[in-house]
Amino acid sequence: MVKMSLDPVQVMSGQVTELKVAPSSNGDSRGSWEEKEEFDQDHLGLTAKPKPVTGRRARKVEGGVFFPKPENAVTIAVSSRVLFRTEREQKVFEQKGVEEYLRYQIEHENEPFAPGPAFPFVKALEAVNSRLRELYPQSEELFDIVLVTYNHAHVGIRLINTINHHNLFIERFCMTGGSSPIGYLKAWHTNLYLSADADKVREALAEGIAAATMFMPEKLTEVSQSQLRVAFDGDAVLFSDESERIFKAHGLDKFFEHERENEDTLLDHGPLKGFLEALGKLQKKFYAKGHRLDCPIRTFLVTARSAASSGIRALKTLRAWGLEIDEALFLAGAPKGPMLEKIRPHIYFDDQMFHVEGAAEMGTIAAHVPYGIAQKHNAKQNTGVRK
Amino acid sequence: MVSTVQNTDVKQKESDHAVVVAVASRAVFEPEAQGGDNVYAEGVAFPLLQALQKVNERLLEENSAESLLFDIVLITTDSQQQQQSSHLISSTKHYGLEVSRFCFSTEEDFIESLLQNNVQLFLSTDRNEVSQTSQKGVLSALLDEYTTSCPSEQLRVLFCGDAVIRPDTNPTPASRQAAQSFSAQLGKMRQRFGMSDSPLSIVLMTSCGGRDSCGGALRTLRSLGISVDEAYCLAGSPRGPILSVLRPHFVLSDCFSGLED
Repeated sequence: MVKMSLDPVQVMSGQVTELKVAPSSNGDSRGSWEEKEEFDQDHLGLTAKPKPVTGRRARKVEGGVFFPKPENAVTIAVSSRVLFRTEREQKVFEQKGVEEYLRYQIEHENEPFAPGPAFPFVKALEAVNSRLRELYPQSEELFDIVLVTYNHAHVGIRLINTINHHNLFIERFCMTGGSSPIGYLKAWHTNLYLSADADKVREALAEGIAAATMFMPEKLTEVSQSQLRVAFDGDAVLFSDESERIFKAHGLDKFFEHERENEDTLLDHGPLKGFLEALGKLQKKFYAKGHRLDCPIRTFLVTARSAASSGIRALKTLRAWGLEIDEALFLAGAPKGPMLEKIRPHIYFDDQMFHVEGAAEMGTIAAHVPYGIAQKHNAKQNTGVRK
Repeated sequence: MVSTVQNTDVKQKESDHAVVVAVASRAVFEPEAQGGDNVYAEGVAFPLLQALQKVNERLLEENSAESLLFDIVLITTDSQQQQQSSHLISSTKHYGLEVSRFCFSTEEDFIESLLQNNVQLFLSTDRNEVSQTSQKGVLSALLDEYTTSCPSEQLRVLFCGDAVIRPDTNPTPASRQAAQSFSAQLGKMRQRFGMSDSPLSIVLMTSCGGRDSCGGALRTLRSLGISVDEAYCLAGSPRGPILSVLRPHFVLSDCFSGLED
């Protein structure tokens, strides 16, 4: 008879890992939930007091892959301005120029930045990674978070100090000192690029890389610590903007007519379809180990389409693509803000600034995808809200 | 036997303050191909030479009395090229390259010629040559296939923070010293320019370690008086795709060995 060191209960259930969320089993203190208090405080304060860098908690690396190959991982590239709050420094740059800006950064090297709009999203990605490593210790199919900034390397030490301070797991970065980061995004097989700079985001989209511009909302609703929640608009985000073009050119009636006639024709894909696909692949890994109900990734479609009519085409398209979206919310033109406030995603992608701003007003972190026909109309709607 | 010929078209640099860079002539000109008029075709190191010249040009723009300049020497060990030394010299003049001197020597005593000429950096496409000179304490770097596609308006020098580019050679204390003093000179040159629009870009890359390894390298370079423009921490991701975007003219790795944990 084989002597088992496992608890008989666990052996019977066929699982060694616990179902409840716990600090990661690989022995390091990263991802511990005691951090919750620390960064909640950061969220509430608009002007976070700079705290000196305290002794960094030791990161023990046991079991699991920590440096996955870029082509195997889901690579998320974030810029320093969306991962952290750098408004003060931005002001120095705009008012006093680059030399003074860099001097300021070096002077304040030991003061970590406060979390920015992409911070909760990155924390949630790390939470998913912890769960993935428990279930698949040899797998490289993980989120790989890369800091891609066109900041000068003079800011490097401050950025590294900040990453250490917040105990983020970011080991790869690119500080291009002013040149375009796009080549590096491609070299790293980037699946999603988040930046504060709309031009860089547009450049990335033009190269076929999913990208969005992030803004800091004035208030922040609390988001889940254990489940990554990602919400997408439909047209011009997951799908192409073909239907939106019809709506903008010929109005709502024509739009409905067109959608009805083409119900069985698949919509063309939009810039974020690939990212949803990548999320779906990781979700399936959890389902395969019996974690469908407590899957730490949840996806949402939040669309102005109507369930009974134009929404059908969207659902059929998703099904044909083999993409499962967990919840589809058809608003039939109703404002998205209140719905998003209920969903509480870590990030919401929309092609229209009007919706991005509406979401931000209610505390949802929204990201703008500058793609498609809606961009021509943005000028009228954009009130220049950029925190 | 080592012989040195001065290029009369070019003003000689002050030997005390200039940074002598020796480049194998085989890398600068295509030995086989010849254009008309006995002029050699451009070799892989051509953009490198143009970039070095650009730095000198801009240094003199900032200060016409500047003495901290690159002093470029062409080294020829190839006996065939030596026989055609006049072609080498006329080709150099034809392209207006800012080469101060030509050194001709045999393979046995070319290292002697490097030391005689107070060479602070030796660049060649020949792996053996680079390995040999490095062992003798002369800072050396290999020029490879990436070099030919590098820009000619900006010199891009890559410091490899975890010394994995040449794992086969263990740098001697002498070569580490040579690396540090050359790097310090480079750092001083960089200071002559502002943050943007510099003809010289100092780039740091760490291949294996995580962010703290890169942070450590940044601090080490800073302590040597070198402020880095760009930093890349690969943490195990493949170097090739990143290098082809980075396009450094050459890579230095000897500064760090023995300095990291």
